[in-house]
Amino acid sequence: MTVSLVSSIAILTVLAFGTLSFSFHFIWSFFEHSMLLLAQTDDSLDPSTFPFSLSTLIKQGSPYLGNLSAPITIIDFSDFQCHLCARFVKNTEPLINETYIQTGQAALVFKHLPNRGFDSMGAHLAAQCTNDQGKFWQFYNLLYENQQGIDTGWVNEENLKKFASQIPGLEMGQFNSCFNSQKYREFIDNDVKLANSQGFFDTPNFIVVNSVDGSDPEIIRGAQPFPAFQSVIEKKLGELKK
Amino acid sequence: MLLPLSVKVVFSILTYILVATAVAIPFWILFNFFDQLIFFEPIWIFYLPEDAITGFILTTLISILIGMLVSMNIYAVRHFNLKISRRSLFSGSSMGIISSVCSSCSSVGFLLISTFGGIGIIASNLLTNYQTLLRIISIAILIFALYYINKRIIHSCVLVYKDHNMTTDQKNQRNSDF
Repeated sequence: MTVSLVSSIAILTVLAFGTLSFSFHFIWSFFEHSMLLLAQTDDSLDPSTFPFSLSTLIKQGSPYLGNLSAPITIIDFSDFQCHLCARFVKNTEPLINETYIQTGQAALVFKHLPNRGFDSMGAHLAAQCTNDQGKFWQFYNLLYENQQGIDTGWVNEENLKKFASQIPGLEMGQFNSCFNSQKYREFIDNDVKLANSQGFFDTPNFIVVNSVDGSDPEIIRGAQPFPAFQSVIEKKLGELKK
Repeated sequence: MLLPLSVKVVFSILTYILVATAVAIPFWILFNFFDQLIFFEPIWIFYLPEDAITGFILTTLISILIGMLVSMNIYAVRHFNLKISRRSLFSGSSMGIISSVCSSCSSVGFLLISTFGGIGIIASNLLTNYQTLLRIISIAILIFALYYINKRIIHSCVLVYKDHNMTTDQKNQRNSDF
């Protein structure tokens, strides 16, 4: 009697938990879908930005790593203040770089999604300015290596300029002019719109596509470990070989 | 091993171990899902990077404590016919569970940002920056709740003399025995 009652309570607890999880998932999906619809009805979104061919992304001015002839492109939507993005940069990206980018099988394109705090926009403006001088990836690594708490001042204007000054060969006059004038504000806003149109409201998120025409997109959500990326990339490379 | 008596009593019964496990495992999965240590797409995978070790230990501890707490509450209700009063509801397992779930709020901070704008950003940042502290507070609350239910179980074991039928001599004899 006691055992059956206790078991019933336990089963009910698990069921209640399951219901709660399902409800949460449902609400989450509904929320993302609604935001996606809102983003897609935004007139300012340029439909010519689709699909994500590697050449289109580079033409737009997005920073990239790898060979232009790489058959696969990984598009990374990240925020410099997001600790999960730093986790990806420290743990997963070096393996992707070594296995696929250095071997010419994949290219990595960075898209700005500053949504983790008030200071994020400044960090992304500065990073895009360093791209003008071909120093984006050095600045990117420097920021992730020195990442601290969100909006704790580690990427305020003064510190961003200090970080920039640590990059060998970066011409500070040109950088300051670009950064102070917020030259890339619209560019970053467009990246955010693009991310939202894909249903990305958190970071990091990735889209893996065929480089030539941006077809066959596959989404990878979160700072996943290397085997997750490997499974998607290998599948795509296999399909391309057929 | 130095375990409270109530823990030894409750978890000497297999059913309560199973109940605790059945409660702890879903919480453990949920916490690790929010912390991006467990993924279900594109492949099922669990990984533990260096920066996540502290958080993982804390959430594992929280999951175990929640499982124990729910199990011990069920034991108390079943064996001692204890009623769930407003006070016990607030200071017992429900408070522990709520606090633990809140400790994972930082993982869904972007929902706060999107919903509440600037105030949401501040709330989300606080939750993210003080995530470890919040989890430690959750553990403290759960330990308090365990202490509370332990006290209730142990006190419920004390026999109460029904002395209205005793003579004065018998009462004196009983009191001198103590």
